[in-house]
Amino acid sequence: MTRLVDLAQVLRSKNAGALLCTLDMMFEDEATYRRVRDSGMITPQRIAGLYGVSDNEVAVIPYDVAYAIKVTIPRLLPSGDPGDTDVYGAQQHAPLLDIEIPD
Amino acid sequence: MSELRMMATTGMLGYGYTEEAFRRGMSLKPDFIAADGGSMDPGPYYLGEGVPFVSRQAIKRDLGLMLEAGIENDIPVLIGSAGGGGSDPQVALVREVAEEIAREKGLKFRMAVIHAEQPKEYLKKKRAEGLIRPLGPIAELTDENIDETHRVVGMMGVEPFQKALEDGAQVVIAGRATDASIYSAIPLMRGYDPGLVWHLAKIIECAGQVTTPRPGQDCVMGTLGDDYFLVEPGHPDKRCTRMRIAAHTLYENPSPYHLVEPDGTLVTTDSAYEQLDPRVVKVTGSRFEPSNSYTVKLEGVRKTGFRTVFIAGVRDPVLISVIDEFIASCHERVANEARLLGIPHDSYRLNIRVYGKDATMGPREPVRQTQAHEIGILVDTLADDEDTSKAIMAKARYSLLHTDFPGRKCISGNLAIPFSPSDMPVGMTYGFNVWHTMELDDPLEPFPIEMIEV
Repeated sequence: MTRLVDLAQVLRSKNAGALLCTLDMMFEDEATYRRVRDSGMITPQRIAGLYGVSDNEVAVIPYDVAYAIKVTIPRLLPSGDPGDTDVYGAQQHAPLLDIEIPD
Repeated sequence: MSELRMMATTGMLGYGYTEEAFRRGMSLKPDFIAADGGSMDPGPYYLGEGVPFVSRQAIKRDLGLMLEAGIENDIPVLIGSAGGGGSDPQVALVREVAEEIAREKGLKFRMAVIHAEQPKEYLKKKRAEGLIRPLGPIAELTDENIDETHRVVGMMGVEPFQKALEDGAQVVIAGRATDASIYSAIPLMRGYDPGLVWHLAKIIECAGQVTTPRPGQDCVMGTLGDDYFLVEPGHPDKRCTRMRIAAHTLYENPSPYHLVEPDGTLVTTDSAYEQLDPRVVKVTGSRFEPSNSYTVKLEGVRKTGFRTVFIAGVRDPVLISVIDEFIASCHERVANEARLLGIPHDSYRLNIRVYGKDATMGPREPVRQTQAHEIGILVDTLADDEDTSKAIMAKARYSLLHTDFPGRKCISGNLAIPFSPSDMPVGMTYGFNVWHTMELDDPLEPFPIEMIEV
């Protein structure tokens, strides 16, 4: 098992508009990308569990040409609403770091 | 068709670019230069208040070089989403800066100013016709929502830019616009392939984001041919890499394959990316699928109250160990104190967050028990008037400072307060309440164009 943080070159989050948060995982080479993509660990079900949302609110889109996987989830609150914690959505990626990818 | 060249000077007017990259870019004889001036990233406040999130000085510096070079070389200069949110006061500010630059440098040109703010009556009419729909997880728009909005902008496509240029404008200061429309307007007028045009526009609108090494914003050049486009940095020491260009459609978009514009969708599933030389990337195969209807995005905000902010540190390990219960008891105490002041519970919001614990992710934080030896308490109050906002904060500060908790030994005060004054009123706040699309018959209708001889 290897943690995702040790396999990815980029692990980031950002708003995709005021209502959605998008999480990008990018990899240095094709082999690592395929290993993660095909691991069965990056699924709507797993992401939903990590972020406390329902499966059907999660989109997982592998993007072969850039060795990247994009995940989109709803924000807890619209950006900048009273009670929002992260207006840009730039620090919502941490739960991804510890995902264990089988060898 | 001969090649068409464009320069994106910066991803955000006011974020800056190097003069070196700009001069080299100009030496490549671009057909037009442009910059995006806006973003909703900084949240609803700037649209609500009608102010930029960069300084006036920075707008003037970035726009000054562009106007001077644009007029000297007789090419168009386009600015989209002027002033940050592209609302009327933000557009007016950029217009005023442009006129000031022209006066100081003795420049003369015809300038179009395109408005994007949407009157409530117009929105109600469109809503009644069933032409306004939610964009993502938000409720259907109602007349009540429209009434409570403070400011709404529509996001224009290429057509208002094109109309302004057809009417002889050399400089266009546009209100809220899709980032890619700024760069697509001219190439589409000249008949280039829409798939390649929109894809190139989408890549270079963030300018320096697609170059490496990355520090700072900088100019990027885009060149369109019949069946390809090229992207290269303006700066001679920077490079564009195939991966960086391919990855760019991931950025801030829900999908890297389908990017929606007012009159259709850019599809990148068959795009191919080729490293032409160490600095230049060539892209082919992008497609544009026209849609049956023309839709623009609406962004609107309502007032959410006057905010007062307070920050303090806690170093006491006993208090850190019972912080959740302690904060709950402070909430209760503030509610009682507020009642004594005649302030009803539903007329304010009190939010107490704990940095070092879960202030960044809130309920999504997987780590429930903090290991920190000190924590930061950030309190904010919201109320319809500033006095109430400050009154609640004063009670919250007092409660946090002097409320007992089990095992308390620090009976002179629970907080390290770094400032005097400690409570910071930050003025009115706003929240997004319109995030919808509006269908149009005429892409120009909600975007009136003003023509000015500068």
